[in-house]
Amino acid sequence: MSTTDTITIEGFTAWLAAFRDRVTEHRSYLTELDSAIGDADHGANMARGMAAVMEKVGASPATTADELFKTVGMTLVTSVGGASGPLYGTLFLRLGMTAGAVAECDAAALSSALRAGLDGVVARGKAEAGDKTMFDAMAPALDAMDAAIASGASLAEATAAARDAAAAGRDATEPLVARKGRASYLGERSAGHLDPGATSTALLFDALAEVTAS
Amino acid sequence: MSGASPRVGIVAVSHSRPLAEAAVALALEMVAGDPPPIAIAAGTPDGGTGTDAVRVSEAILEVGAGGAGVVVLMDLGSAVMSAEMALEFVADPELRVRLISAPFVEGLLAAIVRAAGGADLDAVATEALAALRPKSEQLGDAAADDDQRAVDDPGDRADAPPAAAGDLASAAPPPAIAEAVVRNVAGLHARPAAVIAGLVAERGVALTLATDAKGPVDATSPIGIAVLGAGPGTRVRIAATGAGAAAAVEEVRALIESGFGEELAELAELDVAPAEVQPAAHPSHETPSHPLGVSSGRVVGPVAVMVHAADEPDPAVRIPADARYGAATRLREAMLAVAGEMHATAQMLSGQRRDVLVATAAIAADPALHRAAEALVRDEGATPERAVWVELGRTAAQYRELGGRMAERVTDLVDVRDRIIARLTGVERPGVPERDHPFILVADDLAPVDTVGLDPECCLAIVTEQGGPTSHTAILARELGLPAIVGAAGATALADGTVVLVDGDTGELIVQPDEGARATATGVITLPPFEGPGQTADGHRIVLGANVGAPRDIRRAVERGAEGVGLFRTEFCFLDRTREPSVDDQVAAYREVFAAFVGSRVVVRTLDAGSDKPLPFLTSDDEPNPALGVRGYRTSRRDPEVLDAQLRAIARAADAEQADAWVMAPMIATVAEATEFVARARAAGNRTVGVMIETPAAAFVADELCAVVDFVSIGTNDLSQYTMAADRMSGELAHLADPWQPAVLRAIRLIGEAGTRSGTPVGVCGEAAADPALAPVLVGLGVTSLSMAARAITAVGAIVSSATLAQCRTAAEAACAATDPAAARAAAREALAT
Repeated sequence: MSTTDTITIEGFTAWLAAFRDRVTEHRSYLTELDSAIGDADHGANMARGMAAVMEKVGASPATTADELFKTVGMTLVTSVGGASGPLYGTLFLRLGMTAGAVAECDAAALSSALRAGLDGVVARGKAEAGDKTMFDAMAPALDAMDAAIASGASLAEATAAARDAAAAGRDATEPLVARKGRASYLGERSAGHLDPGATSTALLFDALAEVTAS
Repeated sequence: MSGASPRVGIVAVSHSRPLAEAAVALALEMVAGDPPPIAIAAGTPDGGTGTDAVRVSEAILEVGAGGAGVVVLMDLGSAVMSAEMALEFVADPELRVRLISAPFVEGLLAAIVRAAGGADLDAVATEALAALRPKSEQLGDAAADDDQRAVDDPGDRADAPPAAAGDLASAAPPPAIAEAVVRNVAGLHARPAAVIAGLVAERGVALTLATDAKGPVDATSPIGIAVLGAGPGTRVRIAATGAGAAAAVEEVRALIESGFGEELAELAELDVAPAEVQPAAHPSHETPSHPLGVSSGRVVGPVAVMVHAADEPDPAVRIPADARYGAATRLREAMLAVAGEMHATAQMLSGQRRDVLVATAAIAADPALHRAAEALVRDEGATPERAVWVELGRTAAQYRELGGRMAERVTDLVDVRDRIIARLTGVERPGVPERDHPFILVADDLAPVDTVGLDPECCLAIVTEQGGPTSHTAILARELGLPAIVGAAGATALADGTVVLVDGDTGELIVQPDEGARATATGVITLPPFEGPGQTADGHRIVLGANVGAPRDIRRAVERGAEGVGLFRTEFCFLDRTREPSVDDQVAAYREVFAAFVGSRVVVRTLDAGSDKPLPFLTSDDEPNPALGVRGYRTSRRDPEVLDAQLRAIARAADAEQADAWVMAPMIATVAEATEFVARARAAGNRTVGVMIETPAAAFVADELCAVVDFVSIGTNDLSQYTMAADRMSGELAHLADPWQPAVLRAIRLIGEAGTRSGTPVGVCGEAAADPALAPVLVGLGVTSLSMAARAITAVGAIVSSATLAQCRTAAEAACAATDPAAARAAAREALAT
């Protein structure tokens, strides 16, 4: 296995920074999406949360994945405020627990850690496919990633496939009627808008694809 | 208020700190003494909107330090998720935490007030969970009301229920103790257990019951009480702590000693044995080892087999630690919802079926069952459905061990179990089969709820494998007048559609009967419809009408050739309503019946509320003896407007249709009542007005009654009950409450003679009219019309037309002169044969 086919702690940290940059850059866009169907705080919450995460990570750099992602998860839980806090918090906590006390992950290990994160999100939010939630971007992303790995793709190819599937999943939330979260109170009126959670999740996979591409 | 023992802690989780602070302040206005430990986890540190799972977990640890447990109330969305996530951060396995799904403000208020009073975790959680109820009731929100109704059930409004029977046994000596001897024949079975549990829950004391052999058990738990297996003569020890303990102990003692209004055992003082389980005390209630006929009639038809019983949930499935609290909450909600559902259904019924269903609902709401099942989920990670399966299975085994009447209730437990599992898994539990043709229902046993969906117009007979003479199947079948056999082992193995012959008198069950056997059936549906007019062999006119209790009966009555309706029960318009229906609603309902009988007589009975047909807006439920209380016409003294509105509605409906509408009042005892009713009915625009004769008092003054009314109609069920002073609902007294009793026949003769003298039509509209053997006797006693279940008309009409009026009179005289019902039957049969 070549070194380019693993992601290291530095790579993970770069991923988180890239995710922070994206949610900060798209902060207004995410909030705008959320104002259509939610409480207009997703962009601000995620930007605040990821800024806090990078501050923590910068102050006390971790050496293993479980350590790193525990910090990420707990920081998100305490700093995001909205539903994204427990959801993204759970995602990263489970991801770290599954990855374990390691300094790097290959594609398969990363994928199964992400899968554990998704399972945590499902347990936390009780969301299913088509509920118009972050699940709708993340589940297809991981399916695509696993399919790519199974057909012998590299880490970069696998994360690229995940990115594309997440984006497609995000776009597919537009016609859906929300069944979870505050958006569900809007009923039919929630249709015709992208789901903010699915959109930020697509940014997460976009960031992952970018840092593993090089 | 601030006792030495630690109190339950409360955590308020909200998006908004001001909201949480205001809600807590509101609740504290209700607390006089020291508040319980309360912590708020709300908003973001910078004063924004949001929730923080870490902060929630800290709050839980903070208020849970005393060890009495923590109740968490939350608003919506991320607050729920943060609270759930917080449980993962709370590392202390000893700390019991309950997340409560109640609305934030209501739940918080209920929980804080209850915790301030020193209630335990279960009590605080239960109270909070039910906190929406007052508001739903105020606003008349039916759906919410159903959800919350479970809290009405005995045991669930436990203000301070004990944590577990075991804890109590080892507690310090309680300040109030008494002993009672079980007096009723049936012992502390399901219904008395539910009554005791209801009383104890209301009093809010920690009270236990014990026999020498078993216990102590928590008396808010109907299941716990029932499994004591305390039969007649058993000494029961009652012990309680808490405020009002002595009074509650005395109430329970008096209740047990009273025998719950049931039949009392004959106990000499010496018989009062040290308590022990006495399953053999009621051998007559054992499930029979051979088929037993429990409800009369001999019919042929195809079977429809009803199979229930849920599949056993997989014992290997384990719930991950972080999902257990949620699953336990889901379980509790499902149990309460099922209890509420059953309770709501019970309100639509009357008599024994209602009592039985209320007692069954109490099982689903049993707090001890909840605690045990939830503990399995929380502590061992069992799935909620598995926990229900195990816990109710355990109870069922105890019931079986007790035998007798308790064993017959195992079906109720299985039904409760399957309903809760169905609710949890979303897999519908099969109910009574639906067929587009009449069928004979075959089942393992029938649960109380099954009986609700059973259409007596489509079901010809009932056959069950389980059950004894006091099982629901027997009760239901007799109430519906359907032939029934219980204890028919292997019956559910019959293929759907197999034709069988069922005899509810002999217990005979013939599979694929030949032509000869088929011909012996007397209640088969192949009898042609009745072709009127009804008359004796010598042309004396007898009008044969049908009883109609609901719109669904109309079609059947017309099909079977009924000459009009001899008893139109109007209660269906009123039942299951909390308020009186409008005149317009009533007019529409009555017109539906009138429209089906153009030119024929339809006798409308005004509302017969009370006794076994209570109506929330008309009758009170605290009468010591409802059958002798304010029922029927008597309710109009209290609420004259309900009757007057109904009389106007009947007159309006009659004017709009072409039926010959007659109207009569039930439960008349004096000539003055009859005179008053006639005046009111005529004032409302009704032309032909009469009264029912159901009381011996009315029979004695029949001459005077006939002078003021246009017709009378004899309600033989009540006339038998009141003449013989024997509850018509009691199986034990069925031999007394029998219209063939010479005393009852002589009461009918008094009325028939009065009618003949004055030329007043005399009807009979009780079950007696449907008895082909009794019909000629009634005619001979002077009765001019008979009204019955539609399916009986052909058989009764055939008998009536086979005898002359003179023969009928001879038969009547012979029956009246007999000394008992059997002799009366024999004498009548003999007179008609000559």
